Amino acid sequence: MSRSLLRSVLELRTPITRLPPTFLLPVRARALSTTLQQVEPEIPPRGVPAQTTAPPERSSAAASAPTTTSPFPPPPPAPFQAGLSDSVSQLLPLLRAQPGHYVTVHIHGRPYLVTAGDQVRLPFLMSGVNPGDVLRLDRASVLGSRDYTLKGSPWIDGSLFECRAVVLGVESEPLRVKIKTKRRNRRSQRVKSKHRYTILRISELKVMGP
Amino acid sequence: MTIRAIEKVSVGQNGLGAFILQCKKMDIHYCDYSGSSRGMNAFIKSQLSNFAKAHPQIEFAVSPRPRKHPVLIGHYINGRTKSICVKNMDSLQVLKKAQLLRDASGEKNKRVNKPVTSISESVRGVWSPYHGNGMVV
Repeated sequence: MSRSLLRSVLELRTPITRLPPTFLLPVRARALSTTLQQVEPEIPPRGVPAQTTAPPERSSAAASAPTTTSPFPPPPPAPFQAGLSDSVSQLLPLLRAQPGHYVTVHIHGRPYLVTAGDQVRLPFLMSGVNPGDVLRLDRASVLGSRDYTLKGSPWIDGSLFECRAVVLGVESEPLRVKIKTKRRNRRSQRVKSKHRYTILRISELKVMGP
Repeated sequence: MTIRAIEKVSVGQNGLGAFILQCKKMDIHYCDYSGSSRGMNAFIKSQLSNFAKAHPQIEFAVSPRPRKHPVLIGHYINGRTKSICVKNMDSLQVLKKAQLLRDASGEKNKRVNKPVTSISESVRGVWSPYHGNGMVV
């Protein structure tokens, strides 16, 4: 009895005792464990707001934040009826009245032409999201219907449309094995890699009217 | 006259409307005696309750499998299973494997070239040479 108790205590302690406390760790490890959003300071979160784990209510509230803080030409902060040019304010209701819409959203600088219901396999593993999270994609360059196209320069106003995506999960790929060889040498090295990708489903694409 | 089935009005797509986690059940097998499932036993004792509480949509079944390595088996809605042997891992590694099973869709791993897959019709339509103004050659 006491032996099994001792063993269970040891088992519970092993993963915790494996790492010393944070102030004893080397400097690099400490910096990595505490870094939040400083990995790529020059590239802002383009398609995705910084609060990627946010539920829809919070994400819609936080959606306008990255557009105003980005170094790109910011969209006008005023309500869009005032800031739009004449042609856009004339033709946007026509675009909105047509049945199908598409949008080219940019996530980490890459464009994805999507309509509602599409599945997007991002070429990277998005950190900090769980399956079921809703993301508001507010960085887009083109918004269109069958006959009308709204092009941004370079981005269209984030308040003109609402595009939301649901995180479906993480998928992987078959193991890649690359055989590396040097000349005049019998040795060959097998380099293995297996990437993981985040899957999104575009759940909503709505063109906002004036 | 041939009998034709009623055509489907729409195709269900996960996340469009409602989101359903694809992992429906997770089998957790451990051995009390062997050392390879030491981390698994620690995972069951310390972390499994929180993990199961955070995912009420997954059924967790914990059962012993004596004299065998510990295994995590995920059952998915599409009928497939995914099993991971977690021998000699510590409890945090086992937790990562459990999260992997939770995030997976149950499909086979495939290499995909195009990022966007769509079943809806093209918004702009298909170009046709017989419509429009035409071009003078």
